[in-house]
Amino acid sequence: MDALTATLRIAASGLGAQSERLRVVSENLANAQSTGNFPGADPYQRKTVTFVSELDRVSGGSLVDVGAIDRDPSAFRLEFEPGNIAADENGYVKLPNVNVLIEMADMTEANRSYEANLQVIRQARDLISMTIDLMRTP
Amino acid sequence: MEPVNLFDLATRQSQWLAVRQTAIAGNIANVNTPGYLARDVEPFEKVLDRTGMMLGSTQPGHMGFGATEASFRTQAQEYNGALLPSKNTVVVENELMKAGEVRRAFEMNTAIVKAFHGMLLSVSKG
Amino acid sequence: MLGPVGALRLTPALTSETSATSLSQSGTTAGASFADALAKAASSSVGKLENAEALSVEALKGNADTRQVVDAVMSAQQTLQAAVAIRDKIVSAYLEVSRMSI
Repeated sequence: MDALTATLRIAASGLGAQSERLRVVSENLANAQSTGNFPGADPYQRKTVTFVSELDRVSGGSLVDVGAIDRDPSAFRLEFEPGNIAADENGYVKLPNVNVLIEMADMTEANRSYEANLQVIRQARDLISMTIDLMRTP
Repeated sequence: MEPVNLFDLATRQSQWLAVRQTAIAGNIANVNTPGYLARDVEPFEKVLDRTGMMLGSTQPGHMGFGATEASFRTQAQEYNGALLPSKNTVVVENELMKAGEVRRAFEMNTAIVKAFHGMLLSVSKG
Repeated sequence: MLGPVGALRLTPALTSETSATSLSQSGTTAGASFADALAKAASSSVGKLENAEALSVEALKGNADTRQVVDAVMSAQQTLQAAVAIRDKIVSAYLEVSRMSI
């Protein structure tokens, strides 16, 4: 596989990984207020994404992939709301450990990385085009 | 210094540029991968010194692409900035700047080849 | 008074013109000066080509000023184009002469 085609594969893997990350961020944001449904139940637990790089056998470049989607082990927030079905005997409800500001920052970062990968794809495509153009007689 | 074939040199440089583009793509794709070290190819002058103008010199253990036998060494780059907790050394701005350099050099390369090819064609025409 | 040498002397302001115009100037005096003019045009053409090639090699190695390379290559293309046109004219003129009935 020639180097420029390998570039497209690598950048495509980057796009895939960042999209997966965005999906997890939007899941966290959507469930930022999701409690459990019986007294004392655990709420939605924040998910985190870890990337791993892997050597592509076909092209020799470094692809990226989502290694694992883990659960954030940090503590749940507690709010006093005795009327809630998830309230424990003291009236406290456990709320998800999702911080909206952190998720928004993560989303911005993921968008930026996605754009950068897209730039690489555009450039590789242009370079291939320029090479083929050499054959065209004016 | 023996005379150097312009078209051979242009082919060599365009292969080197393509490998560099691949290394840049790998860095950008792995910008958030923990422990990933940014990579780059060896400079083109070093490649020329090492292998001369001959095409088709291979060395084991190097990244080779496609049907050509030209291989160029890529290695992790030294990093002198502040190290992130994730130990990732990719700086996206630098990678995009390098990509711009690759593009400019590639455009010059194809333009030179096109010009001299055109000149050869015009001489053999009619 | 125009002698063969006078026809070929180019003032500094005119040195940037193409070899085609220098030839048309020397066309006013026939004979041996035409061959001289042709030789001069050919050698300047070769010089420009060599310069363009050398600069292009430097550019491919990564050590040249972009504008200089572009100017050198364009200049080589211009002189080559003119030289090829002259060659074609000479060939067709020869063919025409050889077709003339005696």
